[in-house]
Amino acid sequence: MFKLVLRNLSSHPIRSGITAVSVGVALFLVCVLTSIVTTLQSGLAAASSTRLVVMSSISLFVDIPLSYQEKIARVDGIANVVKWQWFGGYYKSQDNFFGQFAVDPERMFEVYPEVKVDEETKRKFLTQRNACIVGWQLAAEFPEWQQTGKIPITGALFPHPSGQAWDFELAGVYRSEAANFDNRTMFFRWDLFEETLKGAGQDPGVGVYVMSVEPGADIESMRAQIEGMFENGPATVRCDTESEFTRQFVSMLGDIPMFLGWIGAGVLVAILLGAINAMLMAGREQTHDIGILKALGFDDTTAFGVLITQSLVLCLTGGALGIALAMSLEQPIALAIGSAFPGFFIQSSTYIGAGVASLVVGLAAGAIPAWNALRANCVEALRAKGA
Amino acid sequence: MSQAMIRVRNLTKRYQRGGETLTVLDNLNLEMEEGRFYALMGPSGSGKTTLLNLIGGLDSPDSGELLVAGEDLAQLEGSDLAAWRGANVGFVFQGFNLIPVLTARENVELPLKLTPLSRSQRRAQAETALKLVGLGDRMDHRPRQLSGGQEQRVAIARAIATDPKVILADEPTGDLDRKSAEQVLDLLGRLNREFKKTILMVTHDPHAAERAQSIVHLDKGQLGRIEHNQPAGAH
Ligand SMILES: Nc1ncnc2c1ncn2[C@@H]1O[C@H](COP(=O)(O)OP(=O)(O)OP(=O)(O)O)[C@@H](O)[C@H]1O
Ligand SMILES: [Mg+2]
Repeated sequence: MFKLVLRNLSSHPIRSGITAVSVGVALFLVCVLTSIVTTLQSGLAAASSTRLVVMSSISLFVDIPLSYQEKIARVDGIANVVKWQWFGGYYKSQDNFFGQFAVDPERMFEVYPEVKVDEETKRKFLTQRNACIVGWQLAAEFPEWQQTGKIPITGALFPHPSGQAWDFELAGVYRSEAANFDNRTMFFRWDLFEETLKGAGQDPGVGVYVMSVEPGADIESMRAQIEGMFENGPATVRCDTESEFTRQFVSMLGDIPMFLGWIGAGVLVAILLGAINAMLMAGREQTHDIGILKALGFDDTTAFGVLITQSLVLCLTGGALGIALAMSLEQPIALAIGSAFPGFFIQSSTYIGAGVASLVVGLAAGAIPAWNALRANCVEALRAKGA
Repeated sequence: MSQAMIRVRNLTKRYQRGGETLTVLDNLNLEMEEGRFYALMGPSGSGKTTLLNLIGGLDSPDSGELLVAGEDLAQLEGSDLAAWRGANVGFVFQGFNLIPVLTARENVELPLKLTPLSRSQRRAQAETALKLVGLGDRMDHRPRQLSGGQEQRVAIARAIATDPKVILADEPTGDLDRKSAEQVLDLLGRLNREFKKTILMVTHDPHAAERAQSIVHLDKGQLGRIEHNQPAGAH
């Protein structure tokens, strides 16, 4: 019987091919859309609720004073404080979008144990004033950096006093194992940043402080204490856990996840209709064959099976195609959309979901013709025009 | 004395068309002996196909009794009826009714899938049946690659593959030229003589009907006269 199923499919190679490929392309798309959403969500989920972030209570874009670092560090339960400043420069062209931050080099690694570098990279970053580290994805986008070891960055917010670009030396590549910390950012040393600007009479502030806390510390009371400490200025601050802080970014995306969900659902419905159409055609053509099978003594369930199996073979083949496509394109896609959705990756549950979706499409598309075949009256089916 | 292979008692079949009821078979009584070759004749619309389909269990009557190959068809339903059909009846249709995507051999093997035979046994049996109908050299051809006469011989091979007791043929030569028709009729005659099959063949062609041992006439749902050409087993 399975031979009959395959022969029927291969006797219409174009129709079968188009149906399978369209199911495949649709599921590939759905995998990508789903993964954009899950990537955003996993960043949120992985964000630590035991790390604290201090920012200006006015806005993330308002600096806070340098002097706060020591005061925050003295709060009971704080293990370490690292400062971040958004540099807002660019490499060669404004189109090359990625973040650069000035940070405290040693503390960076202490506060973010999930950020891994090799010993040599760490040593260089901790000792060379103009050293920087970049995420492995970013390094892959600009292979010339690893060849020359130099990364000139034009300071858009903080122009170099010389009027030239800032010259950074690449210490090495970092690799983050957590979804909340992307692999597409550049970090350089705070001391270089501060001293260079001070030499030109500027006095840079800090964007955010990120703190790791000691085990068992009372997060809520620490937050209240820190916010209280600076209540009377010179700049008031907000202290959130890292996960709350990250959620603000995701909520800035607003309805995008839901919008992507609707697109995905629309694509699935369109493909379901296409598959139903193809299977209805197949069912009509094979009515006569079904009559023959029944006359020969095959029962109604076999008739049902012949058609539902065709639909399943078609749609599961398509599903496998889509999953294979998504698997092989995951890395290129991650690179291509890395600036908008850092850390893009396809979860295995997404693949499972795609497999289930193709199964459901297969069952749904085959249901009507298979049911018709099951119910078909043998004599009437035999009268139907054969293919 | 041969016993009845097919016994039809007070058989009535009606169709509803629009608001009208059309009585196609009206209280029909008929007996057919095992091992005989019958021709069923009658004007178009007289209910020949309907009767054949009822005897073959493809359709069910409104009332009356049908005893075929020792089975009371009223007692069988759904997949039981289908299974009975597969084991006891071989059909040959005017339009051949082969599955176009399968080869001759695969078409003949198809009903054997309902038997407990192994794959190789099925294959061997299908080949034997095809050789019997003279198509040993066409086994891997698709129906489209065969002539009408060859297609009908494949259909006959399929009908005998499971070694059923009864063969029901509805105008098997209706779409064939003279020569192919002769071959098909020769084959049916051989199946009757050599393999003792009970055959009921609908035909419009008096010349074809001559091949049968008995000719049953049907008109407007009523049985007409029955002619006996030859006694059973004679030529
Ligand atoms: N499914 C059906 N619904 C309604 N009427 C039907 C149906 N099948 C057959 N009939 C009618 O029953 C009558 C007998 O049909 P049947 O096919 O048995 O005739 P037949 O003797 O085989 O004719 P022919 O020699 O043309 O094949 C015809 O009038 C036909 O129109
Ligand atoms: Mg007829």
